[in-house]
Amino acid sequence: MKRWFMFFMLLALSALYAQQAVAQKQSHKEYASMKISECNDCHKGEGVALNHDADWVRGHRVLASKGEKNCAECHDQAYCLDCHQGGGIDAQLSTNTYRRDYIPKSHRSDWLEIHPIKALDNPQTCTRCHDQKYCSECHAKFKSSSLEFLSHRRQFSDIKLTSVGPNHSMFTTAQCQTCHPGGMLPTHVWSPDHAREARRNLQACQSCHGDGDVCLTCHSARTGLKVNPHPRDWNSIKNNFKDKSSGRTCIRCHDRF
Amino acid sequence: MKITWSLRLILALSFLTAANGWCADFHGRSSTQLLSFINDFNNGRQIEVAQYLHFSLTNIDSAGKFNIFGYGRGSQDLNNGEGINGRLYYLYGEYRDLYNIIDTKLGRQFVNLSAGTTIIDGVQMDLKNIGPVGFTVLGGRDVVFGLNGEIGHEGNYALGLAAYLTGFKNTDLDVSWFRKWDAGDVSRDIVGGSFKQFLFKNIKAYANAQYDLTSEVFNQVLAGVKYFPTANLILTGEWYQSYPTFDTTDIFSVFAVNRYQEWVFRGDYTLSDMVAVNAGYSRQVYGDGGAADVYEVGCRLHPIETVSVGLAYDLRNGTDGHLNGGMFDVTWDVTKKLQLASGLTVDAYSRDFFPSSTGNQTAQQYWVGGKYKLAKNMQASLRVQDDINVSRNSNVQGRFVFDYDF
Repeated sequence: MKRWFMFFMLLALSALYAQQAVAQKQSHKEYASMKISECNDCHKGEGVALNHDADWVRGHRVLASKGEKNCAECHDQAYCLDCHQGGGIDAQLSTNTYRRDYIPKSHRSDWLEIHPIKALDNPQTCTRCHDQKYCSECHAKFKSSSLEFLSHRRQFSDIKLTSVGPNHSMFTTAQCQTCHPGGMLPTHVWSPDHAREARRNLQACQSCHGDGDVCLTCHSARTGLKVNPHPRDWNSIKNNFKDKSSGRTCIRCHDRF
Repeated sequence: MKITWSLRLILALSFLTAANGWCADFHGRSSTQLLSFINDFNNGRQIEVAQYLHFSLTNIDSAGKFNIFGYGRGSQDLNNGEGINGRLYYLYGEYRDLYNIIDTKLGRQFVNLSAGTTIIDGVQMDLKNIGPVGFTVLGGRDVVFGLNGEIGHEGNYALGLAAYLTGFKNTDLDVSWFRKWDAGDVSRDIVGGSFKQFLFKNIKAYANAQYDLTSEVFNQVLAGVKYFPTANLILTGEWYQSYPTFDTTDIFSVFAVNRYQEWVFRGDYTLSDMVAVNAGYSRQVYGDGGAADVYEVGCRLHPIETVSVGLAYDLRNGTDGHLNGGMFDVTWDVTKKLQLASGLTVDAYSRDFFPSSTGNQTAQQYWVGGKYKLAKNMQASLRVQDDINVSRNSNVQGRFVFDYDF
C-alpha cells in the first residue's frame, strides 16, 4: 500500500513539475524600458518572483552567471561594468566616486577606513570586482606601519627590557644576538594571533606581503622555523599544484618536490 | 601590442561598415567629466578631465545580425602629474543567429559563467536552438584593471566552457568550466554549476557552486530558497560557504585557510506603490571561533510620484570590530528637465586592529547634486560631497558631467 502511495505521489509531482518545466520562457526585450514597479502587472500570479528587489545587489550573482541568462535583453555590458569596474557613463547623482572610479553603494562613508571590516565578510566579495593585484597595488602606496593588524601590534619591539627600561625598539636587529644568543627569530615581531588571522583572511596578508617573502621567513622548508603551512589534506592535492604551476610555487620553499 | 590589437579591430570594423556603408545605426553617449578629489597617495587635490564614450553600431548588415559595441574612458590629470590613463571596458563585434544556431562575439568583452567571470580580449560563441541544451565556449587574453590602467600581462589567458538547459520557464541548470593561465601556467581551474527551480507558484529554490580542481574543495557553495506568498512579499533563506582562493602560481595558494560560512534570512515587502521595506539578519562564521552577527533594515518611500526617499541601516557586531551605520537619500524630479538629489551616510565603527585608530570612530558623508536636461539629447549634472572622518575634518570632492547622446 505504501509503495502504491509513493508511486502515485511521485507520478502526481512529476505531472505537476512537467507542466511547469515545459512552459516556455518569454523574451523580455520589449519590456526593457518599463519601471520595475510595473513588472508586477504580469508577474503577479505568474509564480515568478521579482528578481530586481531590494536584495538585488547581494543576490544577482546567481542569476547573472547562469547559462541561459537574459540580462542582455535589457542591459548592455556597460551596466555591469559601471559597478564591477568603476565606469560612470550612466551614473546616478547618488553614486559616489573613489578617485576617478565610480563605486557601488556598498562602498559607503569613509570606505578606506571601513573596508577592512567589510573585507572580513565573504572572502570572495572583494575579488568578484578586484583582482588581488588591485589590493597589493594600493596598499603598497601606504606606510606599512599604518596598516597593521592585531598580531603586528603586540610586537616584541613594544616590550620593555625591564619594568622601567627602554623598549626593544631602541635596538637594531643586528643587536638581538647580544642578549638572545641563538635566538631563532632575528626580528621577533610576531604573536600567535597571526596564524588565526591568516587562516581567517589570508587575502589580507597577501594585500601587503604580495610575494610572501615575510611568510617564508618561518614557513619555508629550507630556512627559519620550517613551520608547515599546508592544509591537512596536502598530500592528496600537492601534485595538482605542482603540475598546474609547473612547480613555480613549490620551488619557493623546497629543493625537491 | 594591446593598442595595436584594438586599432586593428577598429580599422577592420570600419572597413566592414564602409563597405556596406548605408544604414547602420550609430548610437551612444559621450560623457565629458571634470573630477575633483583628494589623492590619498600624495595627499593633494587632484583635478582630472575624463572622457567616456559608449556606443553601439547596429544593423550593419541588412539582416541586423552584425553589431559592434564599445565602451571606454580616458582621463587626464591636470595638476598632480599622474598624466593620462584609461580603461577600454569593451569593444567587440557581435554576429547573431549564424545558421540560426550560433552567436559570436569577438573582441574585448565581459564574460560570466557559473565557474568564473572576467574580461577577455577574445571570442565567445554560443550554440543555441539545437534542443533543450545550449553550449558556450569562450577564450582569450585575460584583462586585469588596476588603480591606473591595466596590470595584467601577455601571459594571462582565460578559457571557459558551459552547457545549460534552455527553454524551460521554471528551471535553470548549467555546468561550466573556467580556467585561467598566468605566464603559461594554470592559475585557476574551476568547475561551476548553478540551478534554479520555481515550485508551486510561490517558491524559488536555487543553488550555485564552484569546485576548485586544484585544491579539490568547493570554494563556493550557495543554497537558498525564496518564498513569495504574494508578489509583494519575498522571504529569503540562504546558506553560503567559501574558502579564500588564490592563483596556483601564488605562494598563498598552498597555505591552510578557514572555511567561511554565512546564513542569511531576510524579508522584502512592498506595502504599496509608496512604501517598500526590507529587513534581514545574517550570521557570519570565520572559523577559529570568529563570528559576527549582521542586522539590516531599510525602506524606499515614494510619498509623491516625483520624490523617492531611501533609508538603510545595518549593524555588525563580532570578531575584529563593530560597524553601525546607514544611509539616507532623497531624489526629487522637480520638473521633467530638472532633478535634485541629496543624501548622507553615517558609520560608527570600531576596529580591533590598526593601532592608530582604535576606539570608536565615525565617518560621515554629505552630498548634494542636480541634473538638468538641456535638450532631448544633452544633460548636465553637478555633484558635491563632503567627508568628515578620522582622517579629515573636511574633504570636499565633486564632479561636473556633461552628457551628449547620439
